[in-house]
Amino acid sequence: MNTAATTTTDEHADSHDHEHHDPRLAHHFDSHQQQFDTGKLGIWLFLVTEVLFFSGLFGFYAVYRSLHPEVFLYASQFLDTVLGAANTVVLLFSSLTMAWGVRCAQLGQTRGLLVCLVTTLACAAIFLGVKSFEYTEKAHHGLLWAGMYQSPEHHEADAAAAPAAEHGETAEHAHTAAADHGDESLFEKTKHTLSYMTTVLWVVIVLAGIAFGVFIKKPGKMTLATVAGCVLISAFGMMLGTYASIGYHHFGHAEKPTDEEIQMAETVPAEYAKQKEKVPEPALAGTFFSVYFCMTGLHAIHIIGGMIAISWLIVRTVHGAFTTYYFGAVDFVGLYWHLVDLIWIYLFPLLYLIN
Amino acid sequence: MATVVDSSNPKSNFPIQYRELNYLNCSKGWKSWFFTLDHKRIGIMYLIGVTTSFFLGGLFAMLLRTELLSPSRILMGADSYNQMFTLHGAIMTFLVIIPGVPAAIGNIILPIMLGAKDVAFPRMNLGSFYLWMFGAFFFLAAIVLGGLDTGWTFYTPYSITTSTAVITALMGVFILGFSSIFTGLNFIVTIHTMRPPGMTWFKMPLFLWALYATALIQILATPVLGITGLLLIVERAFHIGIFDPALGGDPVLFQHFFWFYSHPAVYVMILPAMGVVSEVIAVHSRKHIFGYRFIAYSSIAIAAFGFLVWGHHMFVSGQSKVVAVVFSAITFSVSIPSAIKVFNWLTTMYKGSIHFTTAMCYGLSFIFIFTIGGLTGLFLATLATDVHLHDTYFVVAHFHYVMMGSSLVGLFAAVHHWWPKISGRMFNEYWGRIACLGVFMGFNLTFFPQFLLGTRGMPRRYYTYLPEFQNLHILSTMGAYLLGISSTLMVATLIYSIYHGKKAPANPWGGASLEWQCSSPPPGNNFDHPPLAGDPYVMESVVYNEEIGGYVPAECQGDNTGSVTASGDKEV
Ligand code: HEM
Ligand SMILES: [Cu+2]
Repeated sequence: MNTAATTTTDEHADSHDHEHHDPRLAHHFDSHQQQFDTGKLGIWLFLVTEVLFFSGLFGFYAVYRSLHPEVFLYASQFLDTVLGAANTVVLLFSSLTMAWGVRCAQLGQTRGLLVCLVTTLACAAIFLGVKSFEYTEKAHHGLLWAGMYQSPEHHEADAAAAPAAEHGETAEHAHTAAADHGDESLFEKTKHTLSYMTTVLWVVIVLAGIAFGVFIKKPGKMTLATVAGCVLISAFGMMLGTYASIGYHHFGHAEKPTDEEIQMAETVPAEYAKQKEKVPEPALAGTFFSVYFCMTGLHAIHIIGGMIAISWLIVRTVHGAFTTYYFGAVDFVGLYWHLVDLIWIYLFPLLYLIN
Repeated sequence: MATVVDSSNPKSNFPIQYRELNYLNCSKGWKSWFFTLDHKRIGIMYLIGVTTSFFLGGLFAMLLRTELLSPSRILMGADSYNQMFTLHGAIMTFLVIIPGVPAAIGNIILPIMLGAKDVAFPRMNLGSFYLWMFGAFFFLAAIVLGGLDTGWTFYTPYSITTSTAVITALMGVFILGFSSIFTGLNFIVTIHTMRPPGMTWFKMPLFLWALYATALIQILATPVLGITGLLLIVERAFHIGIFDPALGGDPVLFQHFFWFYSHPAVYVMILPAMGVVSEVIAVHSRKHIFGYRFIAYSSIAIAAFGFLVWGHHMFVSGQSKVVAVVFSAITFSVSIPSAIKVFNWLTTMYKGSIHFTTAMCYGLSFIFIFTIGGLTGLFLATLATDVHLHDTYFVVAHFHYVMMGSSLVGLFAAVHHWWPKISGRMFNEYWGRIACLGVFMGFNLTFFPQFLLGTRGMPRRYYTYLPEFQNLHILSTMGAYLLGISSTLMVATLIYSIYHGKKAPANPWGGASLEWQCSSPPPGNNFDHPPLAGDPYVMESVVYNEEIGGYVPAECQGDNTGSVTASGDKEV
């Protein structure tokens, strides 16, 4: 209706320069340059709001870490540095492919752009796969946010099945934990979560694969086929990430598992079980995991948002929307993606590398 | 056919006054409104939404004031009273005042003032509107799902333990926050990249400076509110122990987060209104604005200082003494740029030829009321007095003087000033002025007694009080009724004009900024040619023309042949 209004009024006032009917140029801009600059400023401002959005969490982190440094020292030992580092590498690589994609778009290399975007999408999915493994593993050990947190020391008391009468306090805690009964059921549930997840992923892969196969043949169904392809890549990437982490995890436990060790490993995080001299658990240990889940969770949501945006770019690329003078969207999503990476670059040392 | 002064007529030198085809009637059907990308239509939808919310919030206010007629129970008990003032505050703040001037009026006027065809991101603009609708919907849902009784401030730990619909309301706040962020983002980008040839930063109308400063706050402060609300939702749903002292969290941290947004947010409310007043005072005094650069810079200064004073809401919440002193000192300094504006407006009027139009009357009310509101803020910024006044009716009176008496009156001024442009109709000045007088008197009658109540120790948020407070409470309630009636009269006058008002000329008041150069109401794409911008405050550049009933560019006057007929007021 807007364009209708434009043309009618234009006819009214005796017609003048209205020659640009370039569908890539919105009606209210004078030139492609103006359109691009506008978008660029817009995305930068949006990134500013994103930084401020996260700043609340970083502020919270700063306050609690300065008030309770012992909590962070104690609890960060339960995070798996190797998985965190692996994810960092994956994200850094995805930033590279994204930047490369922008370059391809500027040069008008549609195939190159497509390859880069697909790689970026896959990397994002791998990241999520690893992350979901980490979450499940944390839940498995009861290392959840403050309201759900269960001290590893309770597990230990359970696992060793010791009366633990020496320190009455622990015994009492263990008792309540066992009585509350989150323990066994929580353990069982989380143990199965991963297999549920992989099953669901397999189903998604198969369905998306079929859809892709069906639509790709039909003319005019290009968009649907591409969307199915994106889903396929995402599910596949997540699968890869999850299996890689599981494999790594088993490898860590695999040397010579005695029954005792298996029992230990199933209840106490490996890192904790291996320790000779245990750091005493501070009172608010769960708060660390509140911070951990809030920050990484919000970050993961942003990763998912980015994956949607990248898929949208893939669809448009397939349709040949981008040219050497119209590649703004790729550039802007790229900037967003770099910011999401950057936030992870901060999260990784702040959460995983304490000590 | 209408007898229209039409510049496309080669014999006429006048600019087009009125067109058969304008943005209001160029397309029809509900789809052409709900899916429109036209900034003017989106602005109108905001205006309707804001007005509706205003009357809903106002209804709550009337009920609250009625309850306070006597210390004993009249309409509701303590719990309903708590819910009622919470909803009143939350609706008025988040649904009325914050989107009022920027999203509704700004949307309509900003691109036209810039001589642009639209805002930078029209689709995002429509998206903001739908986010607003969505947020409003969540508020309504909160009312239905058990209400809300935390106060608009959502202080922890009570907001974690109360059984009312806190999560739903917070979702609403979160969504409304993003609506506000996207509007601000849109405005900043539009102002940066779409100014017309000739409009340098210091040739921008001051309303644009004000909207720019507002937008800066919107995008820098609102995300913090977003994350705070989100954390509170998560706290309530999962008990993460961030704000909940029972799990080792820190409730004062919530206050810091909340006020880090909400103090700057009060400038989101007041700055655009100040921008409106800068326009209104200059145009209706027929004089160049005095101290242009001071007014422009003071908007930015207010926006910047506004981020450094949030602690003045927490003087008694247990922050360290040093911090309290620093916050107090910075709060004092924030009143300097506000005062600069007031002095400049007064000086603008000095020796001007003041037209007491309705818009000007609202502008004058603004200056009067804002001065009182700002000065009483200084009482509260003083540590020793605030210990006594905190959480009393003095605070209630202070913030109503600045929010209702200034921000909303500024919105009223804006609506009247730009009504001919928006609707293409002239409203009845007589009834407009009566309504303005009623609003002014009703407002002061409602809230001045509350200053007295506060200094005498009447605490806020109570549904009952000691008997000696009753006289002042009755006065206040009477004022509230007058205020309610007058604002209804105002809206009625405006709505009446849509059907029976005279057709408006392009420039009824004699403004020199670009929005007065296109016809009233503007065509769908605002301008056929990008206009050339000059100084927006040279009032001598336009002169009054009897035939048209409005102002025309000075160079057009005189050399006009007889081809001009009267402006399209044939229906009257
Ligand atoms: C001109 C300078 C201003 C100063 C020095 C100032 C100072 C203050 C102070 C110190 C308080 C805290 C009182 C207390 O809780 O004990 C306060 C409260 C408040 N002010 Fe202002 N203020 C100013 C302008 C404004 C403006 C322009 C607005 C809004 C448009 C505003 C809205 C509010 C609100 C809503 C509250 C109460 C919040 C609540 O607790 O619910 N103020 N002001
Ligand atoms: Cu404040």
